[in-house]
Amino acid sequence: MADKPNSDKPGDLIQGTLDMLILKTLALEPMHGYGIAVRIEQMSKGVFRVNAGSLFVAFQRLQRAGLIKSDWKATENSRRAKYYALTEQGRKRLNSETREWGRQVAAIARILEAS
Amino acid sequence: MLRTIAGGLRSLFLKKQAGRELDEELNGFLEMAAQEKMCQGMSHKEALRAVRLERGSLEVSKEEVRSTGWESFVETCWQDLRFALRMFRKNPGFTAVAVLTLALGIGANTAIFSVVYAVLLKPLPCPKADQLLNVFQQQPPDPSGQAWSFPNFEELREQNHVFTAVAGATRHQLTLTGHGEPVLVNTAVVTGNFFSLFEVQPLAGRILYPQDAKAGAPPAVILSESLWRGSLGADPNIIGSAIDLDKRSFTVVGVMPAAFVFPLFPAVTEAPQIWIPVVQDPLFGPWMEQRDLHFLQVTGRVKHGMPMSEVRSEMDALAVGLAKGFPAENKGWVVRVVPLQEMIIENVKSALFVLLGAVGLVLLIACANIANLLLTRATSRAKEIAVRATLGAGRARIVRQLLSETVVLGLLGGVIGIALAYWGVQILVALMPREVPIVNAIRVDNFVLFFALALSFLASIGFGLAPALLAGSGNLVGTLREGGMRSGQSAGSRRARNILAAGEIALAMMLLVAAGLLLRSFAKLTAVNPGFEVQHMVIAEVDLPRSQYSKPQQWIAFFDELLRQLHSEPGLKDSAVTIPAPIAYICGTVPFDIVGRPPISANTPRIGDYFAVSAEYFRAMGIPLVAGRLFNERNVMSAPNVTVISKALARIYFPNEDPLGKQMSFAFPPAPGVARQIVGIVGDVRDASLGDDPKPMMYVPFAQAPFPGAVVVLKSPLSVSSVVATLRRDVAKIDKDLPVSHIAGMPDVLETSVAQPRFRTLLLGLFAAMALLLAATGIFGVISYSVSCRTHEIGIRVALGASRGTILRMISRETLLLTFGGLAIGSSGALAASRLLGHMLFGVTAYDPATFVAVASVLGAVAALAGYVPARRAMRVDPMTALRDE
Repeated sequence: MADKPNSDKPGDLIQGTLDMLILKTLALEPMHGYGIAVRIEQMSKGVFRVNAGSLFVAFQRLQRAGLIKSDWKATENSRRAKYYALTEQGRKRLNSETREWGRQVAAIARILEAS
Repeated sequence: MLRTIAGGLRSLFLKKQAGRELDEELNGFLEMAAQEKMCQGMSHKEALRAVRLERGSLEVSKEEVRSTGWESFVETCWQDLRFALRMFRKNPGFTAVAVLTLALGIGANTAIFSVVYAVLLKPLPCPKADQLLNVFQQQPPDPSGQAWSFPNFEELREQNHVFTAVAGATRHQLTLTGHGEPVLVNTAVVTGNFFSLFEVQPLAGRILYPQDAKAGAPPAVILSESLWRGSLGADPNIIGSAIDLDKRSFTVVGVMPAAFVFPLFPAVTEAPQIWIPVVQDPLFGPWMEQRDLHFLQVTGRVKHGMPMSEVRSEMDALAVGLAKGFPAENKGWVVRVVPLQEMIIENVKSALFVLLGAVGLVLLIACANIANLLLTRATSRAKEIAVRATLGAGRARIVRQLLSETVVLGLLGGVIGIALAYWGVQILVALMPREVPIVNAIRVDNFVLFFALALSFLASIGFGLAPALLAGSGNLVGTLREGGMRSGQSAGSRRARNILAAGEIALAMMLLVAAGLLLRSFAKLTAVNPGFEVQHMVIAEVDLPRSQYSKPQQWIAFFDELLRQLHSEPGLKDSAVTIPAPIAYICGTVPFDIVGRPPISANTPRIGDYFAVSAEYFRAMGIPLVAGRLFNERNVMSAPNVTVISKALARIYFPNEDPLGKQMSFAFPPAPGVARQIVGIVGDVRDASLGDDPKPMMYVPFAQAPFPGAVVVLKSPLSVSSVVATLRRDVAKIDKDLPVSHIAGMPDVLETSVAQPRFRTLLLGLFAAMALLLAATGIFGVISYSVSCRTHEIGIRVALGASRGTILRMISRETLLLTFGGLAIGSSGALAASRLLGHMLFGVTAYDPATFVAVASVLGAVAALAGYVPARRAMRVDPMTALRDE
């Protein structure tokens, strides 16, 4: 799904993780598709580069689940682009997922460190 | 959830718009990415190309997004459907054969299932029918009695705590006069709470109430709708009017709708035409006081939630109480309960299930045929499938597409099959033997439709799965290069076809063996000598209303006079009366004592079938005298009591002695416990049915033990109608209000008595014939296709010098291998299955070698022939054309 530049795919993101990253990105401000992709790349310092197909599949999924909503707007270059924004439900889901993720990561870390 | 559906629907129906939006969005995405690259110094074109490499191409991305919604699944299914229909239109022959084969299988199964469902599975049409139980009072080891006596019934009613209500009923026939010819009507004689137990509403008027059942109440009668519309002309003022039954006036108080089928007497000919209270019945009314006369069939409605174990234990306790309280009459009697529905279907259950199994086998064979057809076609489509795979279709997608074709096939076949079933059900109902209890109407109703559709679906998965799976795999490059034909020889496909064909033979053998066994049984059954003369014999029943003929002397006088009249008619010298008549009537089985021997007990029963006959009976019926003498005109009431026994009775109960001169006494009304001297022994008669051994029988002179009704036996070469007309005339001369009923020629009586075996044999034979035809077609198809695949190979062989005989042998080897394999498996299957036929066989064992050998020969010959025709085609292959055709 996502490729590290010039390497095989150890950085494969699982489906849910991409959804979460998109939600997180949109938590700051509404954005269009490319902007989201760039922001994810930036925030992960280049670890995750998402390709078009998986990204837009995720958009459709999130939209149908009611976590984000979309709207056609004009961009800076006065082109038309679809802007996505978090819904209330999406915000709630992001918070709960973040908490859950934090718990799991801490648990795994504890396991890995215990020996 | 809703959003998902809405989104999908939008994509489906506003496809263009949704597609355009996605296009625009993706294009924008790529453009923006390209812009960035251009800032780094690339040209527009280079930037776009770099973006495509990094982020994926437009088309692929679009396809990815589109294929995730649920709507794409629906879309592809719709595409598959349209493609399937196109393919079928292009191959009409294949489609027709496949659809018709399936329609035949589905239609037959649906028709049979309609019957099974209506008779066995559907609940009785009474409200809360599962609460209804039949309560028996039985005296083991005599299995026949199930009825209660009235005083015992009252004890049951008063003492039980498990039933909300119990009611009793019995059958009878009374003479209806005053509306055209006197006619005998089926009478249901019921207790007061009968109608309230079954919770039925009348069509008009009211039901019978307990106060109608009290002694001294005015006689009330309920009519059936069919009688009201028939003999009584649908008189709108029928309620409150009077009708004469057995010369007594009854007031009509209600009419029962035709939909009310009384579960205990469900067979069409026994359907009650009138209902009267027990107390009003001329025969059973006087029996209400007798604790030892059993005549009531009792049904009870259990209280809601009452477990069966509690019911059974209370009934056991009741039986013990009755035996203790009234030991003379009730000792040795037990009480049993059986759910009403179970009791009704007991006799026909196994036969119907055998038929269902047989027709299921036919469907299996049909499916195997269609699977073979599909396999054949799949190999010729191998190239098309290879192209699909190359274009990117996954295996699952290909299999799904092939399966959808078979599902369409299945549905088409199913719909046509259901249409066939409507027609088939009508035929079945017309042929159905009378004794099959039809409580619910037999027709193709919703449940049966659902069954048919489900069966079509399952069948299509069944025959479609194997070809689809086989076609989906395969050598892509090889297929594309070599063209379709050669890969038809793939080992998997060929083996599958051969296994299917061999399987068809095996299944056909099982059906043919079953049909053959039943056919032999039926032939043996109809060849049985009943022990009396059948040709030119006519029987008819004459009944005397008790209200006018109350004394036995009157009965004797009437039948004496009738016989005198008949004997003076030309050609009717050999007339006699008997009650009952063999085969046509249920026998009266009574226990008897032999004077001078210890009395009967539960462990040593002495039972025989009781017949009261006039002196000319034996001669008229052609029953030979074996020893002693027959009755004569001196055996009258005032003379010593005599009896004549059958050979079987003599053999069983007087094994090493001469019965003549010994005395027997029977406990049977009207003269219980009378000692009779045995004066003669006559030949055996099969009185119960052709399939049963001759029972021990005892005859008494009618003049010494008369009945108010008897069967007149007439022997005449004239037609049945003219003989009966003469009889009616002579009866009317004596009393013009007497009905002559149950008229039948003896040959017809015997034929009707084997109606059930005939029905089974007919159906099973039909199924076996269908199976044979299908199997033969299957073999023909498989071998044909094999030959056409091997044309090239045959051409080479012939060119290299092989003779035509060698080619024939080569092809035939495949046929023979198939056939023998199928016969071997089929034989073991048939051995196992024929055991299920059990009691349906007569005179043949389930392993009858003659039948097996005959069936195997026929099946083998047919299969060999079916394989021979294409083999001949193989022989005539011209090597030049074969080698040229690549």
